[in-house]
Amino acid sequence: MKLIKKQIPLAIVFITGVLTLISYYVPHKVSVDYIETMNKWENIVVAFAFLLGLISLFFSHYHKITRKADGWGYSIFVFIGFLAMVVPSYTSHGKQMVDGMLTPLGWSYKYIYTALSGTMFAVLAFYIVSTAYRSFRIKSAQAFVLFVAAFILILGKVPLGQIIWDYALGWTGQGVSAVIEWIMQVPAVAGKRGIMIGISIGAIVTSLKIIFGIEKQYMGKD
Amino acid sequence: MALDTSIIAGGWLAAGLTIFLFSFLYKDNPFFKIAEHLYLGAGMGWLFQVSVTSVWIPKIWEPVSKGELLVIIPSVMGLLLLTQFIPKISWLSRYGFTFMMGYGSGLAIPAGLSTDFMSQIEGTIRPFSKLASMTPFSILSSLIVAAGTICVLFYFFFSVEHKGHLKKVSNVGIYFLMIYFGAAFGNTVMARFSLLYGRFDDLFTFSGASYFYATQAILAAMVIYFVIHWLVSGRKPASEEEAA
Repeated sequence: MKLIKKQIPLAIVFITGVLTLISYYVPHKVSVDYIETMNKWENIVVAFAFLLGLISLFFSHYHKITRKADGWGYSIFVFIGFLAMVVPSYTSHGKQMVDGMLTPLGWSYKYIYTALSGTMFAVLAFYIVSTAYRSFRIKSAQAFVLFVAAFILILGKVPLGQIIWDYALGWTGQGVSAVIEWIMQVPAVAGKRGIMIGISIGAIVTSLKIIFGIEKQYMGKD
Repeated sequence: MALDTSIIAGGWLAAGLTIFLFSFLYKDNPFFKIAEHLYLGAGMGWLFQVSVTSVWIPKIWEPVSKGELLVIIPSVMGLLLLTQFIPKISWLSRYGFTFMMGYGSGLAIPAGLSTDFMSQIEGTIRPFSKLASMTPFSILSSLIVAAGTICVLFYFFFSVEHKGHLKKVSNVGIYFLMIYFGAAFGNTVMARFSLLYGRFDDLFTFSGASYFYATQAILAAMVIYFVIHWLVSGRKPASEEEAA
């Protein structure tokens, strides 16, 4: 039983991982075909993984409704929202536009999904402002540097900020857009590169640990 | 110009959902919760239809219909993931998860190595190979990038205790990190505000006579709701309201 429960799954990780890794560096038709096939297979398995999450979400809200838990009425809207996208998709065969006209799916996407997702993220703008207030309380030289970088970026991207900059610092001969470009391409790049190099080393080490079966928490408990 | 009924209905729906979500800025309310749950459902519905039209039909149904049976293998691995709902045989889901982890790890190594590791080092070093054609300011900028990257890497180097010169170098690295975080924060703020302008622009569009003043009507209805709610429950002590 240990063989099919543990050893075969670990062998799948090892074989798939090593073959994918080798295929990337072997310029041969076989390796290219292998990567293409595996990519398709990965898409299929991920689609089922999404289904797993979807069913789990539906179970959770279905139980809320059947048990009449607090706020159970809102759970009905999860199913309504789901059907509002899936039914039009079925009738429109997955197309949003036909002959320049919105299909039912295009209509749902434009007036329901885009409105909701755009607003949900736009609301965060207000919370970011309150976060900015807390972040920008200058308590150290490092916080001051963070404040200056963020302030110049925000200031330089609005017309009023550009006017203020030209009025106060126009004598330097440098426009705020040039300063922003320099910040983004020099000191910010240095910070970003350090982080990216660190992340890549971490990702490579974790991947190796997974392939060689050292890290296997994703397998869950017996 | 008179608009199509479906467009007017869409305008009313979009204006309503937008105002419902914005109403959270005043306080949590049933309209916000309805819109929030609708968003969750609509998001899942959208992803589901993308999954059906771009994976299940073209990559499973059509090949199987043509007799290409190889896709049954990943389909079975995918179906085994659903055994997570049956505790007794949930271990079968490992076959799907291990395939995803193996393939993902195998792909992450060369991708991370080439794009995040080698190309970042290359980008830092390459400017020094063409110093002769660079202006003094560009040379200074390249030196700042190289020095900053090294200082940040020292900051993340935990194998040695940060004291003496190492502490000074890693402290300089913190300043570069702060500039990056500040720049990233500024960009995020501007991106969010750009979305906000977009939503206000839509609300303005839906406030026109061609949409039968959808924005104003829904906004007025929300204000009336909050006033009535305040009149009914506002006079109760806070603790009583919370208990209710």
